[in-house]
Amino acid sequence: MPGFLVAFVRVVEQFNYRVGRLAMFALFALMGVLLFGALSRAFWVPQIWTDEMGQFLMVGYFMIGGAYALQMGSAVRMDVFYGSWSPRTKAMIDVITIFCLLFYLGVLLWGGIESTQYALEYGERRRGIWRPYMAPIKIVMCIGIVMMILQCTAILIRDIGRLRGVEIPGPTGKRVV
Amino acid sequence: MSYDMIALLMFSSMLLLLMTGQRMFGIIGFVSVVFAIWLWGDRGGYDLAFSQTIKLMNWFPLLTLPMFIFMGYVLSESRLADDLYRMFHVWFGPVPGGLAIGTIFLMVLISAMNGLSVAGMAIGATIALPELLRRNYDKRMVTGVIQAGSSLGILIPPSVVLVLYAMIARQPVGKLWLAGVVPGLMMAGMFIFYIWLRCRLNPALGPALAPEERAQVSRAEKLRLLNAGLLPLGIFLVMMVPFVAGYTRLVESSVIGALAAFGVAVIKGRMTWTVFETATRMTLAISCMFMWIILAALAFGAVFDGLRAVDALRQLFLDDIGLGPWGVLILMQLSYLIMGTFLDDTAMLVIVAPLYVPLVGALGFDLIWYGVLYTITCQIAYMTPPFGYNLFLMRAMAPPEVTLLDIYRSIVPFVGVMLLALVVVMIFPQIALWLPETLYR
Repeated sequence: MPGFLVAFVRVVEQFNYRVGRLAMFALFALMGVLLFGALSRAFWVPQIWTDEMGQFLMVGYFMIGGAYALQMGSAVRMDVFYGSWSPRTKAMIDVITIFCLLFYLGVLLWGGIESTQYALEYGERRRGIWRPYMAPIKIVMCIGIVMMILQCTAILIRDIGRLRGVEIPGPTGKRVV
Repeated sequence: MSYDMIALLMFSSMLLLLMTGQRMFGIIGFVSVVFAIWLWGDRGGYDLAFSQTIKLMNWFPLLTLPMFIFMGYVLSESRLADDLYRMFHVWFGPVPGGLAIGTIFLMVLISAMNGLSVAGMAIGATIALPELLRRNYDKRMVTGVIQAGSSLGILIPPSVVLVLYAMIARQPVGKLWLAGVVPGLMMAGMFIFYIWLRCRLNPALGPALAPEERAQVSRAEKLRLLNAGLLPLGIFLVMMVPFVAGYTRLVESSVIGALAAFGVAVIKGRMTWTVFETATRMTLAISCMFMWIILAALAFGAVFDGLRAVDALRQLFLDDIGLGPWGVLILMQLSYLIMGTFLDDTAMLVIVAPLYVPLVGALGFDLIWYGVLYTITCQIAYMTPPFGYNLFLMRAMAPPEVTLLDIYRSIVPFVGVMLLALVVVMIFPQIALWLPETLYR
């Protein structure tokens, strides 16, 4: 395998791993925000921002964490046939079908960038009382999608490597599914 | 090309591509965007996929999802349920088949503390199963007991499946959860009756604890173990009481539940770094799995909406085949069951539901009631070979003497019981609807 491809996989996966590990703990921020919202409504003044902040955190959580989750192999596959194939056959089929994923993510990014541009240009705000700007969360989503695309590319390179008999280790040193 | 043909083409190309074993969210998303661009091009075709993220974000009850997943993992990873198991063990041991019956009770309590069936499976397979086998319980019966019992996790509230159903059917989650309570308990009761009957007819299937073993446990110890039962009761109450009383909303209750489970684990000294890390990491993995697949499925549903596929489907069933509403409903459940045997349960949830649920509404059936039918069907699909999710989990977790064939055979009678429950709820909708109608008045 050309060295720069191996380096690409390393860098991308290392980055997604680090960022994903951080995103993983956004769960507790989410808990905190929602709990604060409930407490303040019960005891003090109701806060107008907690629900939407929770929703933003949630979207950020799974968008930014998505690439790491992909690394962990959590995405379900229909393994009616896939489960019984040899690792080589799996890699062979995956090398082709991963382009479905890349295409989908590409279109997702296209829509995302368009939507972000609109949000930036017109200062789009969310309806409601708090009326937060929409651009920041849309930018976060686009970053998440880019991370997913990079991760899929890394997976593609790894599978090509497998077909040529080279195993590129994952960020934790374990074999990536 | 007519819209019906396009819809058919879309569905079949998706099924075909899914067979390649590529990650499901990618395939579903791919098919959706390809058709969206083909049909609508730059008139909203290309941003259809992204606009689903906003739709997903606006669905507030979705925030409960990571909370219940986290709760389930805290419970199973920290082995909080060990004491609970001991309690049922000691109290039900003397009855023939008692440990199996106790396991069903255990599963009901675990179901009331988390929203997926995985936690129940994990606890059942790692704690209950080895104990039951050691006491010469019939291995086929006990693997069936654990699988059937853990599947209650998605019917008894809190239920993640019903949260997702609520999103698709646009129904209040709280009502759906309440609707699941009575059918869930009824099904548990039917399991218990079945076990009791089997063990009464053939005591070798589930021998009672020997008197000398029973004597080892003192009365004080027995009473002390009852305390273990307070744990799930406590978690359930802190979660549900403020919700039912109207102090907290569903999402906030789910946070309280997650924190309560976490707090109990800390107090009991079971919250090690490994447990914490595993629970947090798995929550991310499972939440992402769900979210990305829903995102793709929403896009798929949006294209199907645009094609008016539901209308076509209704026309096909009612006018062309000439079925009555009930005929359609039964046919739908049957097709679900058949699909459930070879489709992954997540696939069923996200692909078929957007197609069937609006149809059920259009036929004039109650969508809350249908949510329960749908969940029971999912439960059955979870367990039916050759590709039930639970079957593989069980294989991965069970001790080596339990073979795959044992697991396949073990579920047969329980699937029968569940089908019976499905039919009963179909005939008597009030079993599901009584509780939500009483409380929501």
